Amino acid sequence: MFFAQFVVRRLASLVFVLFSITFLTFIVGYLAPGDPVQAMMGAHRDPDTYARLRHEYGLDRPWLEQYTGYVKGVLRGDLGKSYRYAGRPVWELVQQGMGTSAALGLAALAVSLVIGLPVGVIAAARAGSTFDRLSMIVMLAIFSIPSFVIAGVLQIAQVTLFKAGLPNLPTSGWGELRFWVLPVVVLSGASTGYMARLTRSTVLETLDADYIRTARAKGATPGRVLVRHALRNALIPIVTVLGPSVAFVVVGSFVVENVFRVPGVGFIAVQSIGTRDYPVIQSVTLLLALTVVLMNVLADVAYTMLDPRIRTT
Amino acid sequence: MNASRLDRRALILSASVLGVLIVLAVLGPFIYTVDPAHADVNNLRAWPSAAHPLGSDDLGRDTLARLLSGLRVSLAVAFVVEAFTVIVGAGLGLAAGYFGGLVDFLVSRAADMLFAFPGLLLAILISAVFGASVGAFAGGAGRLLLVSGSLAIVGWPLMARYVRGQTLSLKERAFIESTRALGAGDGELIGRHILPNVLGLVIVSATLDVAGVVVGEATLGLLGLSAQPPQTSLGKMIAEAFRYITLNWLQVFFPSLALTILVLSVSFVGDELRKRA
Amino acid sequence: MTVSKSNIPAVLTGLGAAALVMSACATPVSVRTVVVTAPPGVAPGAAPGKQVLRWALEGINEPSTLDPAKASDAPVVFATGLIFRGLVQLDAQLRVIPDGAASWTVSDDTKTYTFKLRDNLKFSDGSLVTADDVAFSISRTLDPKTGGGSSGNGAYYLTNILGADDLAGGKASTLQGVKALDPKTLEIKLKNPSAYFLYQLNFITGYILSKKNVTSGDKWYEKPVGTGPFVLSEWQHNQKLVLTPNPNYWPGAPNQFKSVELVFYGGDQGSTTAFNDYQTGQVDVIGSFGQNPIPSQFVPQVKDQPDFHSAPQFVVRYVAFNNKRAPFDNAQVRQAFAKAVDRSKIVQLLGEASVRSQARILPGGIPGSELPVQALDFDAAGAKKLLGDAKFDPATKVVISYGTEGDNAKVLELLKQQWQDNLGVDVTLEPLELQTFSQKLTDTYNDPTKGLQAYYSVWGADYPDPQNWISQQLRTGVGNNNGAYSNADFDKLVDAADVEIKDQAKRLQGYNKAEQLAINEVGWLPLFSPNTSSMIKPYVTGLVFTGQGVVIPDWSAVRSIERS
Repeated sequence: MFFAQFVVRRLASLVFVLFSITFLTFIVGYLAPGDPVQAMMGAHRDPDTYARLRHEYGLDRPWLEQYTGYVKGVLRGDLGKSYRYAGRPVWELVQQGMGTSAALGLAALAVSLVIGLPVGVIAAARAGSTFDRLSMIVMLAIFSIPSFVIAGVLQIAQVTLFKAGLPNLPTSGWGELRFWVLPVVVLSGASTGYMARLTRSTVLETLDADYIRTARAKGATPGRVLVRHALRNALIPIVTVLGPSVAFVVVGSFVVENVFRVPGVGFIAVQSIGTRDYPVIQSVTLLLALTVVLMNVLADVAYTMLDPRIRTT
Repeated sequence: MNASRLDRRALILSASVLGVLIVLAVLGPFIYTVDPAHADVNNLRAWPSAAHPLGSDDLGRDTLARLLSGLRVSLAVAFVVEAFTVIVGAGLGLAAGYFGGLVDFLVSRAADMLFAFPGLLLAILISAVFGASVGAFAGGAGRLLLVSGSLAIVGWPLMARYVRGQTLSLKERAFIESTRALGAGDGELIGRHILPNVLGLVIVSATLDVAGVVVGEATLGLLGLSAQPPQTSLGKMIAEAFRYITLNWLQVFFPSLALTILVLSVSFVGDELRKRA
Repeated sequence: MTVSKSNIPAVLTGLGAAALVMSACATPVSVRTVVVTAPPGVAPGAAPGKQVLRWALEGINEPSTLDPAKASDAPVVFATGLIFRGLVQLDAQLRVIPDGAASWTVSDDTKTYTFKLRDNLKFSDGSLVTADDVAFSISRTLDPKTGGGSSGNGAYYLTNILGADDLAGGKASTLQGVKALDPKTLEIKLKNPSAYFLYQLNFITGYILSKKNVTSGDKWYEKPVGTGPFVLSEWQHNQKLVLTPNPNYWPGAPNQFKSVELVFYGGDQGSTTAFNDYQTGQVDVIGSFGQNPIPSQFVPQVKDQPDFHSAPQFVVRYVAFNNKRAPFDNAQVRQAFAKAVDRSKIVQLLGEASVRSQARILPGGIPGSELPVQALDFDAAGAKKLLGDAKFDPATKVVISYGTEGDNAKVLELLKQQWQDNLGVDVTLEPLELQTFSQKLTDTYNDPTKGLQAYYSVWGADYPDPQNWISQQLRTGVGNNNGAYSNADFDKLVDAADVEIKDQAKRLQGYNKAEQLAINEVGWLPLFSPNTSSMIKPYVTGLVFTGQGVVIPDWSAVRSIERS
């Protein structure tokens, strides 16, 4: 009964979030300066084609209708047409980069999990030790320092090492594994730092919990306590942390793809800023926002499944 | 040395570094009067020298002067954005928590709507779409206002949420402490009891937020969406310097270092404040 | 009617061109051409089918089309040149030689050309090429429905074909001057005798397309069929084009290659990334188009290396003003802005190894450039005075637009600074992506009152003659005159010079006087002439470096030894 109520509430807020995202992106596009049809037509400016194109792009309808049309289009996978590549659907242009961005993002998340989680757990297990203090400072630094600074440092190191004759990693392009190294390392920075710190605090909390002390009192060894009880319950917030982590990775990909010229959606979007191709930027923003929302929903579902307390409350 | 002594030292160190940076940004241009926009074509991409203490960039512009200018932009934007976030965010959060009902509903929905957008994306979208026309219309100042505005829009909801939560829990105590029967009005309740207790949270939140705003402005600068020449954004300086990193890597290093120090000192201060709050 | 072609490369200079020119053009022009050969001791020719050549295409991140009728950017033009070919081509000395046409005859009045197609000339998909396909292709580039119409490449290069202007202008629906006499013979009739017609046919507007292929769908160019040395086997969006040898290429497929990769390097940082990738061995040829040379900041460090090639070009970068919009409708304002520019600083900024100062319209080496002209020299005080005389309101908004490529941003920032320092005017810079910028130029041409105020552009010679620089840039109404510069005396002078065939000296004098007028009134504000520079890995041989960039007259001679 309560579960159903919970699901309904979740769905309602999801719908609201989706509405917000589409509404905000639509408003920005609607208010965008310049006349796209004029820009497209350029030299051949006859009133009939102008009117026809305006109608084709739906620009002659009232804004509310344009919005609903926009949403319906999004649901169908129609993100409008590019201004720069006359008439080509934005979806077609954007989808060229989706695979690459997804690969890059997932790799970065994987790296954060592999590094961030263990560091956080060990730091919690040895709370107060030098390792704990040091690692948390390092993690805070990695989290706070902007990714392009890290990219710059790595590039500087590369250039110097390369001059000294050492083989180097490519700083642009995408392809086999060697192209992945630098972008993934840089992109995973923020989420690694965040995960490490959050894991540490959650594990600490759980270690303190009553039921742990009970287990200890009953004679369970510290190791067993850690693994059996603390970790399983710590897993829950980890699932929740994946939401913001995905957000860091998604926003970070904008920078990383452009600094390292990885042909993903972030790269396409920034290049389209130069061409004033607003539908493309708009659509990429929308897609990335939706990705984050989707991951948050999945994390929520996983959270509900993992924590029995939620289900019965 | 025990933990809290170390913590205190860290706090003092970070706060002093931050203070130095602020002083540099505000007073720097009056002491070091080299024009950051002046192109000294005889000294392109120079290494540090007497004429250019930190070297010069691709157009021969003095790096130290540009750093100071960029710092000013970063801090100015951070200040404007935080001011907005605190005033609007905390204000709305307070109102939502205190008055509840319709006000709460509207504020919370507005905040939720903006929350839906992950971090910087909305700021990038706004700056990208409106940047050029705002710049053409209102010049450099206009552009920076747009950048500040876009960062502020995505910044106030979090503040509002924190303050709303705090207000809700304080509301109970406040009513107990000074009962309605005594005729205490809304203003007195808010001013005397709620506001002072919320202030701590606001300060900590704002400080933690500043780091994000500074990085946000630098990221927008990196993408070419923030200050345009002759104004400087640390992010843009870094982006431009990437172009000749193989010739003079110091030009990437200096603005990166400045940005890192700024961000870290703010983060540490905020972190320490949070631990004490 | 001609068109602004700031982005179209000119593939034409050299002794050959001068030799073919009729008496109108006297002084032969010598331009260095260098055939890149293997260093001594290295055996050419490695295992067939294994070599990979990676070529940088600076200037774009993603071509919007590979349709020769629509392509206008140098990198895209280059790419199409590997997939498509036309009736003629140029050899290593830049002379016209047969390609798709095995031979041709010219009528006595030199207005009719009859081309005989090569026997068994096939498209890359194996189908036979017919004269019909050629006629179709040429009409197509002119037809406003499929090509650029009056403002497209077709109209620019092929305007001399009988009926071309009518078709391009929408007045006719077929091309009168081109006729397929039989499946192997094509007849082209010209409006006027021309020394340059065959050269004009060499450009992409003369490429032969397969009617079947083009009409197969909207995106036919994703699976293009042509008569060029290569076939498009993979289009990795936003990354590169992968080409493989065309088995039906009539001189013989370049089977030494497994593939040729054309890698995109667009945006502001494109040329720099290409340079860095070259240094780390990720790309083999960079800076191959005159328009995207090695970034000037790197030239000093590489200029003495054997893999670095550089040559002066007949290219001038200039600022032009909109003569029909305030504030530049006032000649004094234009002169003030011109006099406020110190070219020596620009040369210092970009390096003497990369550019030369240019204060007049004709670049040195073009016939007529030996006649002197009084340029508007740098004079800050004079400039300020002029501005005051013109009662220029300092609060006026001045915007200068430009395409983002190479060093443009740097030059514009320096100009902005100079105008600020020397005139006290705060000019706003408007960087635009190349194609958007081209579009805006065309818009400005069509309606100057609503167009750009000022812009930074470039012109490269089509052929070594002052007509290409004076009449075709600044006469009232010509397609390249986007700033709508107009002077009746100028027009009279160039109209007379254009038709003066007998007295060469008189002709050059005419252009010279006109040039002086244009300089005085700032039809152009010429700034500098950039060198072209390329870098080619030592293990790549058989390419020819010319003053117009890298050309490949003979693919069978090209090797990329290391990548095999």
